[in-house]
Amino acid sequence: MSKQKPIHIISFLLLFVFAILPLILGFGFALAYSFGLIGGLNQGFTLDNWSALFENNDVVISFLYSGWLAIASLTLSVVISMAIAIFFHKKFSKGIYSYLVYMPLAFPSIVAAFFFAQFLGNSGILSRICYQLGIIDNIQSFPNLVNDQYSFGIIVAQFFLSLPFFTLLYTGLYQTERIDDYTQLANSLGAKNRQSIFRISIPILLKKSFPNIVMYFIFKIGAYEVPLLLGRSTPETVSVLAVRKLQKFNLYDIPQGYAVAVIYTIIILSLLMLVLKTNKNEYDI
Amino acid sequence: MSTTFKKRNILLWLLAISFITPIITLFFLSFSKNWRFPAILPQQFTFENWSYLFFSGGNIAPSFLISLVIALSVALFATLLGFITSKYIAYHKYRKKLLMLTYFPFALSPVIFALCLKYYFIKMSLTGNVQGIILAQLIIAFPYSVIFFTGFWNQRIKQYEDLVSTLGGTTSYAFRKIVMPIAKSLILVCFFQCFLISWFEFGLTSIIGYGKVETLTIKVYQFITEANIFYAALSCCLLILPPVILLWFNKKFIIQQAK
Repeated sequence: MSKQKPIHIISFLLLFVFAILPLILGFGFALAYSFGLIGGLNQGFTLDNWSALFENNDVVISFLYSGWLAIASLTLSVVISMAIAIFFHKKFSKGIYSYLVYMPLAFPSIVAAFFFAQFLGNSGILSRICYQLGIIDNIQSFPNLVNDQYSFGIIVAQFFLSLPFFTLLYTGLYQTERIDDYTQLANSLGAKNRQSIFRISIPILLKKSFPNIVMYFIFKIGAYEVPLLLGRSTPETVSVLAVRKLQKFNLYDIPQGYAVAVIYTIIILSLLMLVLKTNKNEYDI
Repeated sequence: MSTTFKKRNILLWLLAISFITPIITLFFLSFSKNWRFPAILPQQFTFENWSYLFFSGGNIAPSFLISLVIALSVALFATLLGFITSKYIAYHKYRKKLLMLTYFPFALSPVIFALCLKYYFIKMSLTGNVQGIILAQLIIAFPYSVIFFTGFWNQRIKQYEDLVSTLGGTTSYAFRKIVMPIAKSLILVCFFQCFLISWFEFGLTSIIGYGKVETLTIKVYQFITEANIFYAALSCCLLILPPVILLWFNKKFIIQQAK
């Protein structure tokens, strides 16, 4: 048996300590707590916490709501950034736009949430502009665009945060996949512009970016800051629900909070495994 | 000029405005006082907010420094350790499985992950202090760094290393003279990215830090909950500045060098 080099042992230890061990410990703790095996108020194995969790639809609604927010903001980002790549790829490859597109990347989620609260709120910039233009006559006439029932503010903020990522991805793919050459070939063979966009450009870009879209969806399901500041108290996203159950004053809610964390972890890890297994390319980022 | 051309220009202008409006708005607000509805511009522009940052006991400057120390430490450790570990994974026979395991902690919501790990941090007395936050953020940034570098260790790099050892060079010589010059710009990019992961972090920091370690993101949240929009805007400006500089540097030098 070959002797392991010290650097290999150190590398494995680093991987174990910083990546594998926290996951095992965190998931194990949440699982044990949710089944009543540990925790101050728990008295041994029980399924009560899980049945209490599903007594109402809060958890199911929370997961569906998080999924819906992720899908809505992602769809907007993918469609618009794809349009940018197809129609303005030259402008965004060099020059001022290639710099401007980076701007939203400098925004932490909490800053984006704060900005959109100031921009879309009832007394925000948009409302003030509408008032000055005579579109509304008082502050109450302006529709609720933050903390609203359609989650407009959350979707817009998440769209703003993800737009540069997809714009850079698609403008890059447009060049590396030589889409210009394919569309020119199609046009020279008699295809109309519309046909070459819908039959060549969009299918290639979608296929190549699919793993990135799913990865982004996974990240967005766990979004915390934006829904916390721009969302309503019901429905809550998964992260906000878990924090409320685990950090607030009712100690009997804690096992349920950990049960939410267990469900979330299982869903995310299953989705991730599915993406990584179906993605034949490398997992590089 | 054709109508299509005009429409396209309008769309481009709209995009440009949507990219720069947030930064301009936040800077305006940071220099403002009294912004009553329905005025579009604040009634009063002042340096008071910024002087509060530097001369009064506003705690924003210490928060900036704490954030900087945490982000630089996380970026340094994550990049260094990730670079070492990624080589081990890249050439391992179970590369795909190990890489999948590395992805797991990175993909989870930091705030939920922190809630699950909080118990262990309490036991190790790592809550409410800077060391605890650095360690907690490393659990997110380290996997990112490993994944980032794994693509670097390809067959070409291995062949270069093999060539050096065939010609009598040592492993450390190959590392210093071959690997490092090739990896230099990637290491810098990874350092920036890990810095940004830490700099942007709020949820995990608030759980592990217990609100005692007031990083800039925590400070922004505090000002928002106090409805102090001018100080919140000022803290936001401080949060945005380093990433803007890093992204500009990244775009200007590193990406162009790589091209």
